[in-house]
Amino acid sequence: MRTVKPFTKTLLVTCLVCVFCNVGSAQTLKLPPHEKNVLKNGLTLLVMEKHGVPIVSFSAIVKTGSAADPVGQDGLATITAGLLRKGTQQRTAQQFAGDLDFIGGSFDAGADTDYTTISAEFLTKDLDRGLDLFTDAVLHASFPQAEVDKLLAQSVDGVKASKDEAEAVLGTYYAGYLYGGHAYGRPGGGDELTLKRIRRDAIVKFYGTNYVPSNTILAVAGEFNVAELKKKLEDAFGAWPAKSAPAVAIPPSTPVKGKHLLLVDKTDASQTYFEIGNVGVSATDPDRIAIRVVNTAFGGTFASILNTALRIDSGYTYGAQSFFQPQKVAGPFAIASFTKNETTVPAIDLALKVLDDLHKNGLTAVQLDTAKKYLKGQFPPRIETSAQLAGRIVTNEFYGLDDNEINQLEARIDAVTLESAKQIIAKHFPKENLVFVLIGKSAEIRPAVKKYAETMDERRISEPGFWPPAK
Amino acid sequence: MRIRKQLLVIGGLVCALGFAAIASAQNEAKQFPVATKTLKNGMKVLVQSDHSIPNVALYIFYRIGSRNEHPGTTGLSHFFEHMMFNGAKKYGPGELDKVMEANGGENNAYTTQNTTVYQDWFPRSALPLIFDIEADRIQYLQFDPKKIASEREVVASERRLRTDNDNGGLLDEQLWATAFIAHPYQWPVVGWMSDIEHWTMEDLKHHFEMGYSPNNATMVVVGDVTPDEIFQLCEKFIEPIPTHAPPPPVTTVEPEQLGERRLAVHKTAELPLLMIGYHVPQTNNPDFYALNILRTVLFQGESSRMYQRLVDKDQIALDVSAFVQPSFDPTLVIVVAQPKQGIDPAKCETAIYEEFDKTKSALISDQELEKAKNIRLVEFYHQMRTINGRANTIGTYEVFFGDYNRLFDAAKNYSAVTKEDVQRVAKQYFGANNRTVATLLPENEEKAKQ
Repeated sequence: MRTVKPFTKTLLVTCLVCVFCNVGSAQTLKLPPHEKNVLKNGLTLLVMEKHGVPIVSFSAIVKTGSAADPVGQDGLATITAGLLRKGTQQRTAQQFAGDLDFIGGSFDAGADTDYTTISAEFLTKDLDRGLDLFTDAVLHASFPQAEVDKLLAQSVDGVKASKDEAEAVLGTYYAGYLYGGHAYGRPGGGDELTLKRIRRDAIVKFYGTNYVPSNTILAVAGEFNVAELKKKLEDAFGAWPAKSAPAVAIPPSTPVKGKHLLLVDKTDASQTYFEIGNVGVSATDPDRIAIRVVNTAFGGTFASILNTALRIDSGYTYGAQSFFQPQKVAGPFAIASFTKNETTVPAIDLALKVLDDLHKNGLTAVQLDTAKKYLKGQFPPRIETSAQLAGRIVTNEFYGLDDNEINQLEARIDAVTLESAKQIIAKHFPKENLVFVLIGKSAEIRPAVKKYAETMDERRISEPGFWPPAK
Repeated sequence: MRIRKQLLVIGGLVCALGFAAIASAQNEAKQFPVATKTLKNGMKVLVQSDHSIPNVALYIFYRIGSRNEHPGTTGLSHFFEHMMFNGAKKYGPGELDKVMEANGGENNAYTTQNTTVYQDWFPRSALPLIFDIEADRIQYLQFDPKKIASEREVVASERRLRTDNDNGGLLDEQLWATAFIAHPYQWPVVGWMSDIEHWTMEDLKHHFEMGYSPNNATMVVVGDVTPDEIFQLCEKFIEPIPTHAPPPPVTTVEPEQLGERRLAVHKTAELPLLMIGYHVPQTNNPDFYALNILRTVLFQGESSRMYQRLVDKDQIALDVSAFVQPSFDPTLVIVVAQPKQGIDPAKCETAIYEEFDKTKSALISDQELEKAKNIRLVEFYHQMRTINGRANTIGTYEVFFGDYNRLFDAAKNYSAVTKEDVQRVAKQYFGANNRTVATLLPENEEKAKQ
């Protein structure tokens, strides 16, 4: 955590990039078999046996996320998820924590833009007690007022604490500036003002409306007997009353036109932290695998074109990467890096040149081949544990992607050619239209960074909220 | 979201040694057998086969870190770690990563006060290549002045990211510099900025000769391999590397702390921050187990005493935690509390001391003891569930306890801990005279500009 960090060659690649991973060599690696059942009440159950260590992993998706937060109450889905364990019909928050910790279990819940996730893990020997805790939280959360107040107050301070670290909030400002009023532009965790507007009534309503069986997918993977587990799950969830939830309509997102820059002033920053890009693609885009391959070569690895230019060859930064964040509708694409105040302009110039060169020159045969091999070689450890597998099958189910998403991945990667890569670059990597978000010391960098955009906006990081400014 | 990912990552590296087993996990020693061999040049190799995925994790632990440095060249171990990716004889500058990725592999490394650890993750088809690369860079590292100049900037950027622009990193650095007055743990692993700017080529060459002898290293390979094939590859690629003298022993012993030390950092910030460091023994000390149980009871999970008190009941902190790093020499347990806005960190301090005092005046409960042991068991399995986790954990036990078998004995050693042991270590190590208190206090922006 915050103390005695080992210093490393590279930052471990974030999960944003893990989305862009792939299948093992010689097509030997397939998704282990799993079963899908839909209970009478509409709950979708996915069960996968996975041996190795005696652990059972639960991964649930409630198909409503922060994109459904009422305007002005950003953070509602996140707060609702956070309160699941903070008091139920059977247990106080303290009792829940005591019972969970006693068996060394874990329970985490949070909201993404598209959905809410609830994950938990227990030793196989504690499965019954773990299942009881899991269902207690998901089905019988009671939202005591004192716990609501406590979590809201902590979350406001949590937003402030995160603003002490530019890297931690860069993505939130970027999404806000890129998407404007669109649901994907709002801070899923809320901000200093919206969190203060959330009332218990709204939480209870959000829970009652959306935490219903037909709106939920539950994946369970790990070491167990499948028949016994299915019986237990049916017993535990079968009595959950059937109810339909309103579908969340997320409007299509379209790329921004022109060049626009947001400068967020952090007076104590000795580096500028930046993201540059535009709206990318959806999780079901037909080009998604080819995009993965091209982005791996461009900015997805240590030896990528981008990191080679900004780190290895020039020493401007400790790290530079690019990523697509595919969601239900088109999520963001960004180039992200940081550099000392004095080299802000040369580093951004270089990032833009590298992007420009990608459009001009495409990939070399070696770059393309390397990206393919890398994706295939690094994929098996991404589906190594029961938790990873449960998370993957539940997410695929949510997006309507079948097992071929994994089982055919190698073939789909291999199908990418230099010619198709060229088309992918032209179609999906931004060129003329770009959004820039910089967090840094405005007094030192403002005059020089104006040149990048037709319009420039400014914020102080200490101002409540992210972007757009709170009204 | 991003914050949590970063915290988890770092926690995973730092806490490798906390993960151990209790009684029922002892059979795991049989389930996860380790084959060992010591090469003629002194390098010990540990291999564990696991064919569940067609991949391999290969770690090389060098027993050299910032504790082997001196004023003026602080951060050299870490800088050297970066240079190990910048070209040798067969694989020149930039080649190592390109070739590895082109064969489906990737790599990283980390440096601590005690060790420099290199990590390769790759499909088994890349096995011979990885050995060729490792042998090349251990023997024939290049020292190109241009690469050194550019890598210096990279490391400076890393320092700004993790220390200068990170309140936690900044306060942590100040805490170590105050808690230690003699021993090398007083300087930061990344090095002081002025040292980063001034290392010479000679410093680097000297460091290489000192730290990178095969007899100063341990290799761990876990995954889709057999011990025999790894030993054969070692004989071909690694065994011919000549050995030489390992780093001179670190003889400086930190004198006993005789009274509380305090420090403050005033800077622009949204929230204050509190860190308290207590001197504790090195990893291979018998008190390791009782200290871990105490730390678990006080800090781990939302049912822990500190969470219940500071976050839940008094509501004066956003979170509170405690960490200790594996170490060769006596080190620090560091308590970190994030006070809520407007809360005087002194309030958090008082609550933390009161909770420590309760563990001195009365025994912890049977249930707390059992809970702590259960948490350790689960953490053991979490480390054992991936080839990467196993390579790191096996190597960490081998290096810091001197024997990887301690990983599997931890079962027995944790069950032997009594409530009285926990009380004894609470009294022995968590007193006022043994602590250093570091506080970060926000200044408003107007004041900061003056």
